[in-house]
Amino acid sequence: MKDFLSHLFTPRESNNHRAKILHHTNLFLTIIFLLLSSLLIQRIKVNFPSVLGIKADISAEELLSLTNKERQSAGVGSLVLNEKLSQAALKKADDMFEYNYWAHSSPTGKTPWIFITASGYKYVYAGENLARGFSNAEDAVKAWMASPDHRNNMLSSNYQDVGFAVKIGKLNDEETVLIVEELGSLNMPISQSKVAQVATAVAPVENTNVGTVQRQPLVNSQSLSSNIYVIIISVLIFALLLDMIIIEKKKVMRFVGHNIDHILYLLLVLVLIGIWGKGVII
Amino acid sequence: MLTKFYKHSLYYVFLVVILSLGFLLTQNNSNKTFQIGVVVVTTFFYVLWGIMHHLINHDLSIKIVIEYILIGSFGLAIIFFLLATSGNY
Repeated sequence: MKDFLSHLFTPRESNNHRAKILHHTNLFLTIIFLLLSSLLIQRIKVNFPSVLGIKADISAEELLSLTNKERQSAGVGSLVLNEKLSQAALKKADDMFEYNYWAHSSPTGKTPWIFITASGYKYVYAGENLARGFSNAEDAVKAWMASPDHRNNMLSSNYQDVGFAVKIGKLNDEETVLIVEELGSLNMPISQSKVAQVATAVAPVENTNVGTVQRQPLVNSQSLSSNIYVIIISVLIFALLLDMIIIEKKKVMRFVGHNIDHILYLLLVLVLIGIWGKGVII
Repeated sequence: MLTKFYKHSLYYVFLVVILSLGFLLTQNNSNKTFQIGVVVVTTFFYVLWGIMHHLINHDLSIKIVIEYILIGSFGLAIIFFLLATSGNY
């Protein structure tokens, strides 16, 4: 076993002075393994959603509470959950699932303002934040706060009301959780007269129950994929580091790529997994 | 090892700049198609810069080119599979 691991991770004569795991054949096989594991995860997700599926525990109340916490920290007044805006958010979420799109404006040209106006909310200011694929409210709010546009929307003193919708559905045949946040104001705060429309992304709910999604499969498919990828990349980075140190110590002459290049590139992929693995916002 | 690193430091600094630029671009635009495009372009430059460096050092071989392409493909495959299986794209 020890010999096998040494052959796999350390450069020596048996592997032509290059860790076996870094050989072309093994790198190619790793890509094939990734492809097969992704396909397998997909199949299990479709056939056994209670075993492997998306995990979600998000409520409108939690989203409201976290949003208001951020607003309080920024010295801005709290938002009030508005039924009409929640209704508009729900309609927007339904529309995205029905017409299979993930954007502020639908392929047929429907803007967020159409949903808000149709709900009976006569806004002076309106904004929208959208999030997708998050399993909890905290991560979604954190992602919005990390994006300057979404952050401005969330912390804007122009808004007094908010509506949330959280819904599970299918986009591009993939089950996902959508969070829609519609922000609005019926009155002109301060002395501003022009109508502002800011889109970033969120969804409303008709009432607080509609804005709640709870799904607890045995295994969360999203974190399973992310964890598999993080483990594979970490193993490769470890092998590259070990290979580099040992070869430098032994002073063996060989013609291979620069390990530092690969490590730097793989670190970038690792960071992107950390960010995109949790969910996305627009 | 450190002497070798210093000798190539300018090359590595440039690679860090390429990768950092790619990262910053993915974070400054929430359009998923744009982000994927940035990852593809960043990967392309990582492969290209790696090949260029070996070319300058006169130690470029087809084996090295394949190695960079394989690592680049590995990174791209992970990003694509992540977004495909998470339903985030």
